[in-house]
Amino acid sequence: MALLEGSDAYWRFAGTCTQCGHCTGACESLTAAGMSLGDIAKALLDAQRASSTKEELAYAIATNGQLVQAVRGCFFCTSCKNTCFAHNDVCDLIYRARVDFQNLGLIPREAWSSVLVDQEWDIFTAYRAIHGIGYVDLVRHKAYEGHEVETGLTTAFFPGCSLAAYGPELCREIFDEVDRLADGRATMIDSCCGSSLKSAGFFDRAEALCDRNADELAAAGARELVCVCPGCANDMRKALAARGLNVKVELLAGWLAERGFAPKHPLPEGTICLSKSCQDRDGSYVDEVRAVLGLAGSADAGEGAADGADAGTDAAAPAREVVIYRGCCGAGGAVSAFDPARQAEQADGKLSFAPDGSTVVSMCPTCTYTYAYRLMEAPRAVTNKHYCELLFDSQFDWDKTFAQLGGMWSGEYGPWLAQVFA
Amino acid sequence: MSEEKMQNAADAQVAGQGATSESAAGAEQVAAIVGWGTAGVNAAIALRGAGYAGVIRAFSDTDILPYSPILTSYYAGGEKTYEQCFPWSAEALAELNVEMVPNARVAKIDAAAQRVGTEAGAEYAYDVCLVAVGARPTTAGFPQDCGYEPLVLRTMDDAARMKAAFESAACKRVLVSGASMIALKSMEAALNCGCAVSLVGVNDHILDFSALPAAAERFERGLAAKGVQMRFGQHIAGVRVLDGADAEGSRLEVAFSGGDVERFDEIVVAHGVRSDLSLLEGSGIAVDRAIVVDDFMRTSASHVFAAGDCAQATELVTGEKRVLGIWKTAALQGQCAGRAMAAELAGGEPAQADAYRGAIMTNTIAVNGTLFISAGLVDPREVPGCVVETEETDEMTVVRLYETKGGASEKRLVGFNVVADKDEPGGTAYDIGAMLTLRIEEGCRG
Repeated sequence: MALLEGSDAYWRFAGTCTQCGHCTGACESLTAAGMSLGDIAKALLDAQRASSTKEELAYAIATNGQLVQAVRGCFFCTSCKNTCFAHNDVCDLIYRARVDFQNLGLIPREAWSSVLVDQEWDIFTAYRAIHGIGYVDLVRHKAYEGHEVETGLTTAFFPGCSLAAYGPELCREIFDEVDRLADGRATMIDSCCGSSLKSAGFFDRAEALCDRNADELAAAGARELVCVCPGCANDMRKALAARGLNVKVELLAGWLAERGFAPKHPLPEGTICLSKSCQDRDGSYVDEVRAVLGLAGSADAGEGAADGADAGTDAAAPAREVVIYRGCCGAGGAVSAFDPARQAEQADGKLSFAPDGSTVVSMCPTCTYTYAYRLMEAPRAVTNKHYCELLFDSQFDWDKTFAQLGGMWSGEYGPWLAQVFA
Repeated sequence: MSEEKMQNAADAQVAGQGATSESAAGAEQVAAIVGWGTAGVNAAIALRGAGYAGVIRAFSDTDILPYSPILTSYYAGGEKTYEQCFPWSAEALAELNVEMVPNARVAKIDAAAQRVGTEAGAEYAYDVCLVAVGARPTTAGFPQDCGYEPLVLRTMDDAARMKAAFESAACKRVLVSGASMIALKSMEAALNCGCAVSLVGVNDHILDFSALPAAAERFERGLAAKGVQMRFGQHIAGVRVLDGADAEGSRLEVAFSGGDVERFDEIVVAHGVRSDLSLLEGSGIAVDRAIVVDDFMRTSASHVFAAGDCAQATELVTGEKRVLGIWKTAALQGQCAGRAMAAELAGGEPAQADAYRGAIMTNTIAVNGTLFISAGLVDPREVPGCVVETEETDEMTVVRLYETKGGASEKRLVGFNVVADKDEPGGTAYDIGAMLTLRIEEGCRG
């Protein structure tokens, strides 16, 4: 049996890589490592070939600083994949490499102990428990104190970890609207898609979590799943398809737009800077966000300049300047646990494209969180919003959230948290 | 590793040479792989990955390691070293435990007798056989008896010859005949070596099978800005090799069909590639433009598979069997064939999940900083009633080709071109190219 679990996948990947090296220039991490994607696969196989035990293999990899940089410095932004002439799947390669790193003990526990979202306690559930945030009344497909199991549910709402934890009022307001538009037949899947597990090298557990969500959805009987975040939508779509479940997965933005939903308040003045999600592979989600915000117009060619942003005046709203950002906000791939400075640089790099007075609009709540954190540390005259905040009245309160997150560790729950996440 | 060592490393793979007339019956099973490029190597990887432990015997018409034809122009132009053109090391390939038969051009496959015969007369039995002979450049249309052998680009030998020619102090002016990807990469190699380049093509624009006019024109402007002279709608009518050098040292006098006569030092012919399928004569294996295969790369003959540039497999936009001639397609077809061969060797049927999913045509090329990305169908003649939309910005041109149904109310993206004036890895042009490629694929798969 091969020492590396992903051995076959590395062979396959290396077999489809022409070794042209064009991908290297698309990524600071690959550039720093001096490696191409094919080099990563080859280096892992070379290390395996040179090792007879897992201990030897772990040592061989750990002492290959370039390889560690390339594998752990990946945001999963797919910039390299897009640049690859063959569009080889970097995510599959790096996820598998992270699994092997995890198996070999090469990812320190502190990098993942608080994001094991398939366990009872993770940073989100702990935060919610400490601050009394819960949604059992919205989880109608399960019996809880105060309500029985409801049947005939058509629509499941999937807010994802960050929104459910850090934006409870917004989360509830969105649910109410989804429920209204679903004729009162909505329920909520209060869970996680498992992306943090994948980043930490627990690929199987992430898939198992998605499967669990799929089971829950099947039990609820809903025929559509409405996700706030593109990443959740992608992962759940994949899990549901793998199980042959006939459930339509949609991004909230598109789902609302299809139903003629109008934002509850005017858009902010100034330039709107849309931060395209890394998970928005084909650009359809950003189109949906533009549509629901009333910013629909010609797409793609008008978007983005060489540095990842450009301005284009939108046809539907002539006075409105819309800028599309590409690339990772810095939250992807748990790079912060490996190289916190690089995460900050990545977020700053993206924010630098937003002119003063503009509004940065993210598609994933975790991106909004990441930008908020950077703007707290290095204030700028830009407003940071999730697209849902432009649609609904409730807003995130990041000052309060960060204060509460910081206070958790020093307050009465500090020792408990330290023990749980040790 | 030097070229000599690269060859020696390949020699180290060799085992079982001269094992003629070996019978597979009753002995260890034999999987024969004819052609040792990406399709062949990936088939071997898949065979081993599927647990096949018998003999894999690979026939190669060279004695060097499998190389990447994509990188040959990089080598010729000095962007890659010789060693960097080999995706797999000798050590990596040794892990596959493949019995190599080097310098052995296979002349015949006897599908009924399950035997492979080489030009040298040796015969080898097989249980399953993969034909992955790739393709070779054609010089059709070039005056064959002019006394000059034009440069072509496919193999490492081709690249080495081209490199030596371009790097020669006597080589100052190069003519490239053809307007394909290979023509453009050859042109780039010549430019990198400091040569002046002229291009002649029979069609109206460069990249005639990949680019729509608006995209081609932008690319041509980029080439013109780099000093490339272009002649379209013409071909080489005659070549005269001059005795002795003239004042400029140019030794080839070329007459173009338009009437011009110019002198050059070297001529590159990039008139496309063809598979040499003469080895299949009498085999009964169905051949159209190439070898016709099913979704598991099985040919019409039992126990014979085909993959790569010599195979005609599913193209997603049309649903037709076509030759795509792309490295990754060849790799994926090789992997598919390897898994199916392993299943057959194990006495079973391949799993449906292992079927070849088909592919769309994709081409990306960067020539001296000008980027061209293409995917899907881009010939309007192939998409009746199509709609072509063109957007131009200061940085790039994006051309989309839509198939329409129901009077243009329902559009399906079937192809696109992106041409950007700068090749910036990670930049917007690449993002758009990837997004549109995905949209075409998703449209095909529903």
